Amino acid sequence: MTLIPILLAIHTVADDTELVARMQRRDPHALAELYDRYGRLVYSLILRVVRDTGIAEDLVQESFLRIWNRVAGFDAQRGSLGPWLLAVARNRAIDYLRSAGGRDRNALEFDEHGHPALYGDMEKDILTADKARRVKTAIEKLSPNQRQVIELAYFEGLSQTEMAERMGQPLGTVKTWVRTALKNLRDELGAAVTA
Amino acid sequence: MNCEELRDQYELYAIGVAEEPERSEIRAHLNRGCEVCMAGMKRAREVTAIFGSAAPPNAVPSPRLRRRLLASVGVEQKGFGWAPILGLALALSLFAVVYFYGRQTTALQEMALLKNQLRTQTIDLARLNEAFAIVNGGDTTVSSFGNGPKGKIFTSKSQGVLLIASNLPPAPSGKAYEMWVIPKGGKPIPAGMFQSEQNGTAMHIQRGAVDPNADLVAVTMEDEAGAPQPTSQPLFAASVRSLLP
Repeated sequence: MTLIPILLAIHTVADDTELVARMQRRDPHALAELYDRYGRLVYSLILRVVRDTGIAEDLVQESFLRIWNRVAGFDAQRGSLGPWLLAVARNRAIDYLRSAGGRDRNALEFDEHGHPALYGDMEKDILTADKARRVKTAIEKLSPNQRQVIELAYFEGLSQTEMAERMGQPLGTVKTWVRTALKNLRDELGAAVTA
Repeated sequence: MNCEELRDQYELYAIGVAEEPERSEIRAHLNRGCEVCMAGMKRAREVTAIFGSAAPPNAVPSPRLRRRLLASVGVEQKGFGWAPILGLALALSLFAVVYFYGRQTTALQEMALLKNQLRTQTIDLARLNEAFAIVNGGDTTVSSFGNGPKGKIFTSKSQGVLLIASNLPPAPSGKAYEMWVIPKGGKPIPAGMFQSEQNGTAMHIQRGAVDPNADLVAVTMEDEAGAPQPTSQPLFAASVRSLLP
């Protein structure tokens, strides 16, 4: 993982307030600006999940239209669009992956990610350069197994049981890796998001 | 379970790997507005949001994606696949106007009109391409509905859902139609907002894979911004033939 996509977004988040206001007034050119700010980042995330450029582009379009259709409920004074957009994008990509693979969908968590209000309290500068460096540091500090389980969960939407089957490891071992990895990320990134 | 017992579960829940019974417990706490769990979930989501931004950066979407996205909300785009042909027709038409009438004012008026037509045709072509992809899908099924609003619903497991309807009354100010895909025994899944034309017709397309357990496609009237779940009874609905292989 590198910091480039984060850095691509860093210099843009501060202007989201005005952009959100224009989208709420249904100015379609505001959607164009939103795409120019986050399109590559969202595409990279979705492509990482579905690994098919055509499907990824379809899902990018759906993600941006979902934001467009639900932006009325977003409070621009209390948050930026980036984290919400990334959550919607991951939601759509994992949802597709699980559907295509005939797996159950974790509809609860994913449905909630579609709600803008849940991102209203998020910091506007959550994707700053300093925090991006902490992300890199936190991820580098994870052991290979810890990094793998987090990536399987985040980018492939696997449950802990599915991870255990995929990795050929006991479920208890996988659960320990997941918990330890998340605790380490919480300690590192928790400090980042509240700094 | 109390909040203290759920404390270590927030990140698991946010990343989608929480298991029962903790998952249901967190859901219940959030649904009743538990401030402790809401705060914990906020921090967990911030962590996962940052983590998700670290995808490989070397992927660049095609320029066509931007044009397609903006065409879907009515923004005029240059360089669309059909635009060169239509542009040529526009140029020839303009040449004919200038040649035969020799009046610049008239030519400019014609150009504005043709540009507007080009924009409309470009958007329509994009939508028609999407509609044809669903209609021609190898796995497409067709359902009809009637009594008041009537029409057909084409459902392709791989391509998406196409709704063609007539006799639709115009939505009141601030309202719009919202389509839902309802899996058997599951919650309705939002499938996009749309408005009817002045003549009461509508064509709505929801691209992307369709839940293979889809049982019904329904349409309700919702606020223009859309709703995560239906807030009113369906205006009409059609059963979807089994999409299971």
